[in-house]
Amino acid sequence: MGQFDAVLGNPKSRRQFLRAMGGVGAMGVLAACRKESATPGATGTDTGTSAARPPIAEETGELQVHEWSGFEAKWIWKDYAAKGYPEPKFSFLSNTEGVIAKTQGGFYWDITHPETGYIQDYLNMGALQEWDTSLIPNFADTNPALEAYGQIDGKQYEIVTDWGYSGVLIRTDRMDPEVNSYSYLFDDAAAGHIGWFDTPWIIQQAAMVLGIDPAQSFNMTDDELEEAKNYAISKAKNVYSIWVDFTQMWDDVRQDNIWATYSWPDAYVVLKEEVPVQYIRPKEGVLSWAEGLVLRSESENYYHAHEFADAWLDAAVGTKLVSLWGYGHSNLNIDLAEIDPDVVEVFGLEDPETNLSEPISYFDRYQPERDKYNRAWDEVKASI
Amino acid sequence: MAGTDVGTERRRPASRGAASTWAILSAPLLWVIVFFVVPVIMIAIYSFGGISGLSPNDIAEWTVTPWKDFLTSNTYMGGLHVLGKGLFWKSVRMSTVVSLTSLVLAYPIAYLLALLAGKRKYTLLLIIIVPFLTSYLLRVLAWRVLLNPQGVINTFLVDTTGILNGPIDWLFNSQFAIYLVLSYVWVPFVALPIFVTLEGLDVKLLEASADLGASRWRTFRSVTLPLSMPGAIAGFIFVFIPTIGEFITPQLVGGPGGFMFGSAIQSAFTVGLDWQFGSAMAMFLVITVAILLAIFGRYLNVRSVAG
Repeated sequence: MGQFDAVLGNPKSRRQFLRAMGGVGAMGVLAACRKESATPGATGTDTGTSAARPPIAEETGELQVHEWSGFEAKWIWKDYAAKGYPEPKFSFLSNTEGVIAKTQGGFYWDITHPETGYIQDYLNMGALQEWDTSLIPNFADTNPALEAYGQIDGKQYEIVTDWGYSGVLIRTDRMDPEVNSYSYLFDDAAAGHIGWFDTPWIIQQAAMVLGIDPAQSFNMTDDELEEAKNYAISKAKNVYSIWVDFTQMWDDVRQDNIWATYSWPDAYVVLKEEVPVQYIRPKEGVLSWAEGLVLRSESENYYHAHEFADAWLDAAVGTKLVSLWGYGHSNLNIDLAEIDPDVVEVFGLEDPETNLSEPISYFDRYQPERDKYNRAWDEVKASI
Repeated sequence: MAGTDVGTERRRPASRGAASTWAILSAPLLWVIVFFVVPVIMIAIYSFGGISGLSPNDIAEWTVTPWKDFLTSNTYMGGLHVLGKGLFWKSVRMSTVVSLTSLVLAYPIAYLLALLAGKRKYTLLLIIIVPFLTSYLLRVLAWRVLLNPQGVINTFLVDTTGILNGPIDWLFNSQFAIYLVLSYVWVPFVALPIFVTLEGLDVKLLEASADLGASRWRTFRSVTLPLSMPGAIAGFIFVFIPTIGEFITPQLVGGPGGFMFGSAIQSAFTVGLDWQFGSAMAMFLVITVAILLAIFGRYLNVRSVAG
């Protein structure tokens, strides 16, 4: 029911909607929704400074965290638990676009975990408020280059916690590591053995192979998009699988069905002991993603949320996140001695500030014409 | 007077009957209206921009742009010059092949159960249905184990027996795999309405045909088959309607060529934040299915299928 909020919050849309619904006699539904639209959640961005808020002892403490499956693990928020705060209530997301839609529809969370490219979408909905980083002691230890991706207009709307590359995993017994390019994903010599992830980023990677500036690949002109799309279409015949389930991709690499694939570094961490693989951060620059915690504008657990974010940023959590799952972490003080040296090299952890900045890495960013990219990607898939 | 009294007596129960019928029907009707009719109308309005704001990319005014984009797109609908090549037509082809294959496979099963299995027919019917009480997704995933290049079938043919030198390419990540798995999934749902129709068949008609000298084949062709057509049509519809929007099975076993019209709708909603465009595609599918139902409904005797 709450998804009517956005409609009812807009007088023009509301009038149109009422007219439309009149025909089906749904006024009762609308009445209920009107009532709901008066509740917090339909409005605003910043709801005030931390000084104007009640102290943490007066908050409900029932922190609602909408998370990726796996990130509910207690070792991630152990410092939060150690302070005696109530266990957060976790719900799970499968993709950020779905959360945006649900949020627009009235779904409530205090904290969720989007990629940095979607912060602007949440802001446009008025769903976020700025973090007060002075309340997060561990924030001082994070990578400033990375945390900058969580800012809009100088305000820290996202505490970036984890990151990764969207590079290429190759089987070194099948592909030449010296090529070191996204061209692996379009290589005729590997016809029938290439893996693409189901994402429009494949078109951006095609654009980079064609020489388009990686930063520009996020906001290509129509001509550039057309050129990159047509290149991807011309190479689509080489694809063995457009995977959605990364474990299936891992199996296909193990079984020699896939020789080169779009992948995140976690695939390398898992597979390097089993088959001859190498993780490629292409010479064109590597498309990368960062994600972190955003705070709901009307959260009644402002201080609890900051405590939770601080627990996430702990260096020990970062060390474990890299070692265990192959994700990067924003804390610069993670213990490299605890991590496989090979993984340290692949991640570029010896100098994260340089390696996570352009022109080495190009991080996800807001794409105002995401629908245009998606339709182009549909066209690539439909061509097969 | 007597006649009038009788008429009155008849009307009273009829009136009470109508009232009780409405009482029984009101809850499910309300359910259908609230959770099907109203949402479908909302999606229709949404596709024209009458409702907006649920997705950041929405056009916030009445518009035909999503429909125009969809109907003129080579990718989704196929323009006039590439008629039959859009994703919609790809899904229509898939549904037609799967529906016909299921029909061909299900008919002998239904025939065997209804006319030849005798007292054991319900036991056999149960045996056929039992595997379908397990998860749909699990059954589809099981086919991956059978069909993939390192799967049971290829391992047997290549490694165990040495009949083939290499795995069969078209067995997995192919249109064949989609057709095979979907047909397997839907065969029982086609068999059921045919079974019900055949079970209700007046056996005397078959005996009369035989008495008049018709062969078994002639009897089947001229008596059994025409009389079982309502069940066959119902079975066809049972398969065609859900499969035309399919996207999970093609994604799991169809490989890169498994991108269907249903996949495009799903993608517009969950990846592209392109809800109005997705709504236009979804409504087009609903309208297509409604038209097909109207056409097939003319040839469908619901009572015969429902037993």
